[in-house]
Amino acid sequence: MPTVKIFANLRKIAGTKELSAAGTTVGDVLNGLREQNPLLVEAILEDGTIRPHFVITINGHNALDLNTPVTEQDVIAIFPPIAGGS
Amino acid sequence: MAGWSEKVLEIDLSTQTYKTYPLDMDMARLYIGGRGLGARLLWDLVGPGVDPLSPENVLIFTNGPLTGTGYQTSNRFSVTTKSPLTGTILDANSGGFWGMQFRKTGYDVMIVRGKSDKPVWIEIKNAAITFHDASDLWGMRVFALTEKLGQNNNKRNVLCIGPAGENLSRIAAIMNDRERALARGGPGAVMGSKNLKAIVVEGKDRPEIVDKDQFKFLLYEARKSLAQSPLTSQALPEFGTVVLMNIMNNVGALATRNHQQTQFEGAEAISGEELTDNYLVRNASCWACPIGCTRISRTEKVEGEGPEFESTWAFGAQCGIADLPAIIEANALCNDLGLDTISVGSTIACAMELSEKNFMDSELRFGRADQLAPTIEAIATRSDIGADLADGSLRLATKYGHPELSMSSKGLEMPAYDPRGMQGQGLLYATSNRGGCHMRGNMVGPEVLGAPKLIDRFQVQGKSSFVILHQNTAAAIDSLVLCKFTNYGVAEEYFARVLSAVTGIKYSTGDMIKVGERVWNLERLYNLREGFTNKDDTLPPRLLNEAPTDGPSKGWVVQLEPMLKEYYRGRGWDENGIPTKKKLAELDLEVLL
Repeated sequence: MPTVKIFANLRKIAGTKELSAAGTTVGDVLNGLREQNPLLVEAILEDGTIRPHFVITINGHNALDLNTPVTEQDVIAIFPPIAGGS
Repeated sequence: MAGWSEKVLEIDLSTQTYKTYPLDMDMARLYIGGRGLGARLLWDLVGPGVDPLSPENVLIFTNGPLTGTGYQTSNRFSVTTKSPLTGTILDANSGGFWGMQFRKTGYDVMIVRGKSDKPVWIEIKNAAITFHDASDLWGMRVFALTEKLGQNNNKRNVLCIGPAGENLSRIAAIMNDRERALARGGPGAVMGSKNLKAIVVEGKDRPEIVDKDQFKFLLYEARKSLAQSPLTSQALPEFGTVVLMNIMNNVGALATRNHQQTQFEGAEAISGEELTDNYLVRNASCWACPIGCTRISRTEKVEGEGPEFESTWAFGAQCGIADLPAIIEANALCNDLGLDTISVGSTIACAMELSEKNFMDSELRFGRADQLAPTIEAIATRSDIGADLADGSLRLATKYGHPELSMSSKGLEMPAYDPRGMQGQGLLYATSNRGGCHMRGNMVGPEVLGAPKLIDRFQVQGKSSFVILHQNTAAAIDSLVLCKFTNYGVAEEYFARVLSAVTGIKYSTGDMIKVGERVWNLERLYNLREGFTNKDDTLPPRLLNEAPTDGPSKGWVVQLEPMLKEYYRGRGWDENGIPTKKKLAELDLEVLL
């Protein structure tokens, strides 16, 4: 089952740093998470797409949309809008 | 003319005299203020071959037409000088309150030249300039000195150096408002070389605004945009800049142990989330800033501003240290001693690698949090091992026969982003006019954060056009002088519109970007006049030849050569990186040659 790591204020919503859910695409996994934590998935998706400025990576590589495939061993990281650099 | 006070204050420390004269308004229209105006003035005032630590170098403090108007983040100011660390042109800008107060004294520019024969501090109260003996202040640290000289955020503001500047450390910062820094490239050493300990400003002038109604409207619109952007209304205020730690580590672009790795196993322990959960006392903000990204942090030993992402990285991942309290304390110590946290952390990391590889005889080792504070103290006083580290990593690594272990470009230590995982950032570092720097147009937005839009961070072809645009935009914002974080929430067109409203001169977005391009090319001309060539547009060999062996950046080195060729062409420069006559004419720069 893919591991899902979450960051910044998503952790407050989820009450944890790490979850897991079954699925073969990013969208599948998020749908799986919806059953565990609907508020978390609502914070990430809007009208069935990833909200603006959210960054989702699979093993550190950007997932461009919800159809991006994942395998059992993959680590999905989800970052809400973040900024910085000084 | 509204927008500028039209006055220059020139102080000669050798004679302890000053004069004032009108600002050249043709120059002001072309270069605006801040970094641009500073660069143009330095071109005339400090010619080739001048030793940066000699009386012939100058410090040019500039504000901009928006400074002190109340426009969002209109608190910043710049210092321009010739860098004692790199020998390049140097500008550094800082937030807080001092810049706003300096504007209220009625000057756009303050030029400090010469050298006092004994320590001195300067007090500027509106039109009155007073030179005070600073003999009894010499040696004082920044926090105590700032308090002694009467820091009062909205009324009286203190800019000063600490012991590091006095001891001419080439990585010494100028500090303002206690914990804000004009940090990079060693401006604190230039101030120290002039025996100038502090400049205190108190003013009451109010900047004039031509179109007050339009200004108010734009202020309202910008406030709304900043409140609506999740980047400026949530991300920065909630977690501060350190929130970048986990994402940079996740994508394999977090320089670790002097850039030997691109991921740090201790990243979570020094992340923005950890700082917020366990050490944050409250947020704070600079004058007229609705974003409020500043952290006030507390450990058992210290309480104060910061640390920012770059400082946390420099003492953390770069030194292999996952001890957040020790990092917070190292940051506070650098502020108190007047040191640039990025260069200090990276220089210590360089010494750690030199020592671990037996190129240097010292006890410094990666991961040793207990070594941070004593090493920083030693740097500021040039004592013990600090004598070797006080002038930055390139001089240190050269002394011990391994200059390739300095993670710097043009001698300036690079910040946190490992460019093997961000090709555009590599080009940015290599071409930055003040050396390895992320504030000349950071590519973290497009290459990692997806702001404004995500581009492939490993892509090489076509990357230079993004870098050029970001560099020009950064130079324009630095010339206004505003905080670049506003650019996360406010469209670039606002900068031209608000400048037009304040000055009454019609500026378009294209005009603003052209100002940025003009400034960039002028800085390039300055460095060429100092003897720099296209051979200096490079990176440490490690980043060009040694690919990470694991993580998301596995197998990648910076593909600099093809990006540079494309960059020179995109800039309108020849194959040797020299601006063509056509480009200079287009930018009104041909008159300088």
